[in-house]
Amino acid sequence: MKSIGKTRGKTLFFWSILLPALIVMLWLTVYPMITVFLTSFQNYNYISGRRRWIGLGNYRNILTDQVFLTSFKNTIVYCFSTTFLEVFLGTALALVFYGNFRGKSIFTILLILPMMLSTMVVSSVWKTLFHYDIGLLNTILSQIGLSRVGWLIDPKMALWSLVLVDVWQWTPFAFIVMQAGLSSIPQEVFEASVVDGATYRQRLFRITLPILRDQILLLCLLRTIDTFKIFSKVFALTGGGPGNATETTSFFVYREAFQYFNLGRSSAASMITLVAVVLMSIFYLRKMLNPREA
Amino acid sequence: MTKKTALLLLSLCLVLSGVSAQKQVKLVIAGRDGDYGNAMQVAVDAYMAKNPNVKFDVLKLSGDDVYQKTVIDLKSGTGTYDLILIDDPKVLQYQRAGWLTDLDAMFKKSGKTVDSDFISTVMDLCRYPNNAKGKLYSLPFVGNVSLFAYRADLFAKYGLSAPKTWDDVLVAAKTISEKESGVDGISFRGVKGNPILTAFLPIFWSFGADFTNASGNPTVNSPEAVKALKFFLELAKYGPKSTPMNNTAQVRDGLLAGTVGIAPEVWPAWLGKIDDPNESKVAGKVKITKHPEEVKKSSPMIGIWHIAIPAASRNKDAAFDFLTFLTSRETQKLMVLKAGLPPSRVSVFEDKEILAKYPWYPAISDALENGVARPRTLYWAEIENTMGGLIQEALIGQKTAEQALNEANAKIAEILKQ
Amino acid sequence: MASYVTTKHSPLFPILMIVILLITLFPIYWIVVTSLKTPVENILPVPTLYPHKFTLDNYQKVLLGGSLRNLFNSIFVTAVSTLLSLAIGFLAAYALVRHKFPLKFNVVFLVWIIIVKMLPPVVLAVPLYEMFSKMHLINNLWGLVVVFQVYTLPYCIWMLFGFLKTLPLEYEEAADIDGASRLQIVRLVVFPLVQTGVVATAIFSIIVAWDEFLFSMLFIRSPELQTLPLAIVGYIGEFETLWGQLMAISVLAIIPIIIFVRFVYREMASAYSLGLK
Repeated sequence: MKSIGKTRGKTLFFWSILLPALIVMLWLTVYPMITVFLTSFQNYNYISGRRRWIGLGNYRNILTDQVFLTSFKNTIVYCFSTTFLEVFLGTALALVFYGNFRGKSIFTILLILPMMLSTMVVSSVWKTLFHYDIGLLNTILSQIGLSRVGWLIDPKMALWSLVLVDVWQWTPFAFIVMQAGLSSIPQEVFEASVVDGATYRQRLFRITLPILRDQILLLCLLRTIDTFKIFSKVFALTGGGPGNATETTSFFVYREAFQYFNLGRSSAASMITLVAVVLMSIFYLRKMLNPREA
Repeated sequence: MTKKTALLLLSLCLVLSGVSAQKQVKLVIAGRDGDYGNAMQVAVDAYMAKNPNVKFDVLKLSGDDVYQKTVIDLKSGTGTYDLILIDDPKVLQYQRAGWLTDLDAMFKKSGKTVDSDFISTVMDLCRYPNNAKGKLYSLPFVGNVSLFAYRADLFAKYGLSAPKTWDDVLVAAKTISEKESGVDGISFRGVKGNPILTAFLPIFWSFGADFTNASGNPTVNSPEAVKALKFFLELAKYGPKSTPMNNTAQVRDGLLAGTVGIAPEVWPAWLGKIDDPNESKVAGKVKITKHPEEVKKSSPMIGIWHIAIPAASRNKDAAFDFLTFLTSRETQKLMVLKAGLPPSRVSVFEDKEILAKYPWYPAISDALENGVARPRTLYWAEIENTMGGLIQEALIGQKTAEQALNEANAKIAEILKQ
Repeated sequence: MASYVTTKHSPLFPILMIVILLITLFPIYWIVVTSLKTPVENILPVPTLYPHKFTLDNYQKVLLGGSLRNLFNSIFVTAVSTLLSLAIGFLAAYALVRHKFPLKFNVVFLVWIIIVKMLPPVVLAVPLYEMFSKMHLINNLWGLVVVFQVYTLPYCIWMLFGFLKTLPLEYEEAADIDGASRLQIVRLVVFPLVQTGVVATAIFSIIVAWDEFLFSMLFIRSPELQTLPLAIVGYIGEFETLWGQLMAISVLAIIPIIIFVRFVYREMASAYSLGLK
């Protein structure tokens, strides 16, 4: 009898401490998503307030829209290339700067600065550095006899310039995560392998990297999540141009919604983004929900 | 005793501050940045000197921002803004949605009248429907029209005559680019969307192209339009490499720094400092006129900005008082002289003092008379961005002129269908 | 001690270190220098590496333009939204770790958290805007605090869930036997044990909130309510970009972070060596 009362009290207690978060999530995310879902089947112009159901019209429209397709492709390219570069460079740096050396803590502290700056600050300064005529990068290039690069002007280059900014800003983060992972590997593991006569390369690929697998996956997850949303950098640096070279899905949705006030289309684009996000996250979800199984 | 006095004083202070707080009005203006913003500030300062109990919050926003912020605010009826600026082709949405205060009624209420000094073609745009009988919802804040600027000294140096047609312009741009070192033959705005489209329109129209035909179907891929765009791309070859990212600042600064031979699309407000030797390296050397012709006559683009009072404003009377002050003859003159903002009143255009400072001002009235307004549709923002995006793709070589315009035409047809 | 990489003793090591620091710090240096140059010097065709004509004008203009107000707004919104997220996120994460809700609710909830975390926020912007404007939360700093939960709450729940999961049950069971109430257990036993995790979570939430731009841009109208990222964008205009002032206000945005960074380093390193998932 007593234990049933206790169980019920326990259930009540856990429900009540979950409740605030549950309400906030329902209110701020679930309800809006339902609205977006319903709007995605309508032709809804915010200004005139006119709404009518058009079935899959918006989806058909968007999936054949060159701008949307380009923006989707750009987002994926941006997301995966930044993640790859950052994780690769971060791991390499962590391996090189492993262990103790003089000035380690001040070195690391200075390295984290970029990731703590707000994106708008970062974008502003890179905008000056990238400037075609008076930017420092091009001045240096032309002074050492190379031709100027259209960092934000050349449609082939612009997206990579954004990648460069993100890599500059977030590689230090990858470095720190990997450094923490490395330092948690007991010294004895390495010592044993050295005694066994393993070469550096063998140690790296057979011992170190496998141990760091979880850390690397975590890092990939964090960076893909973050870079998939890319909006502010595009907003401040390129406005989606030149041409559609730096259009991203976030920017597409933003413009449809808040410049054309075409809520049907923006909602359909949002739903497509949601599906992509779900597909992408399936892999990570498994990992997160069964961490011990991996 | 002292305590009592203190209390009394305190309550007196409270009462007084309450009274003065009641009288204090704060007007929030959703305005533009750059010279429009400077001009607005000049007017606001002058008004505050006379009316110390009116405070202002002048927001200096970009063109996209002012549109986005005012639309969402007016739609929700929050009443954040007391006065807003509206770009001409977008004004229809505001008028039709009933978001603006009826100014005829405000004039009647205050016992003032709308005077006939405003340029009448411009005034019609402020009414809905757009004719003299329509209801007045806004006043013209600036009588803007695009102009054509070129370096008269360089033209003389290379024996070029004043450009009459766009073909003359091409020859001149080529000559200057090749012969004058450190100077680009031509420079215009190439940022996608509004800037590049605005730069293109004077050519588009004078080549005989138009947005729609008589039955309202889009015609931006007509042979005339394609010819115009090809010409535009040809011109761009003699411009700076950074054209696709160049906006107002870069074009204007290039002109002032003397690194640009021809600026085929300039706006009066950019030119306030052109003849000031402290700010400009080309004082006295730049000639400003209306655009050249081609198969059709010169076709400058009308780009006035409206100023209106949102229906949701809580300070309509104060806003109206400032509005009449802002659009008065004296204030317009002040804004012209101090910030180079082109006026919307005939009498100001004819003012001797102004003509002495800006000898090229008659070019504005000339251009305004020839001016073409952009199509008035509810979907201008979308059309402008779509077409402006595709033209830029043609500029950076990702599409041919035909491809870009065919695609633009198909998209505009789709936009208009909704 | 067996060094993992032998390059450490080579002369290249310090050189590499310096090169990396240069790349990392140069843009930050550039922000500071640009803010100290005159407008004319900032648009020279060949940029100068240090201010030839030193000026504090940019700072004066930015400060008179109300940027301290923006700084305050940013700090306020960041701090309050982080505290709110931590509080409700901690409780929720604890519930999810220690209680099995019916119908696989734990899994559903966590999956949704991840999806929201990955979803570009602009997707939610329109309905949220309409809701908030009906509730008079537009143009209101409290509105931002609430809407920032879209970012910070999933973050907090997710990270705290990871920390709490590693916690052995024994301490709580012991406290339960000693007769402590549930709330007491959470407050006096669980919380102190994951304090490091809470701090690390707070740091990330702060970084995210400090950086937020989209909702701030859409929800804030009045200049006196603008946060720093908004104020910064305001300096990049169509007509001219005032590089000096832009960088001066950026410096203002950096200062609080420099004060904060040592602390961040310590906490972050320890958080990630805990093997955070």
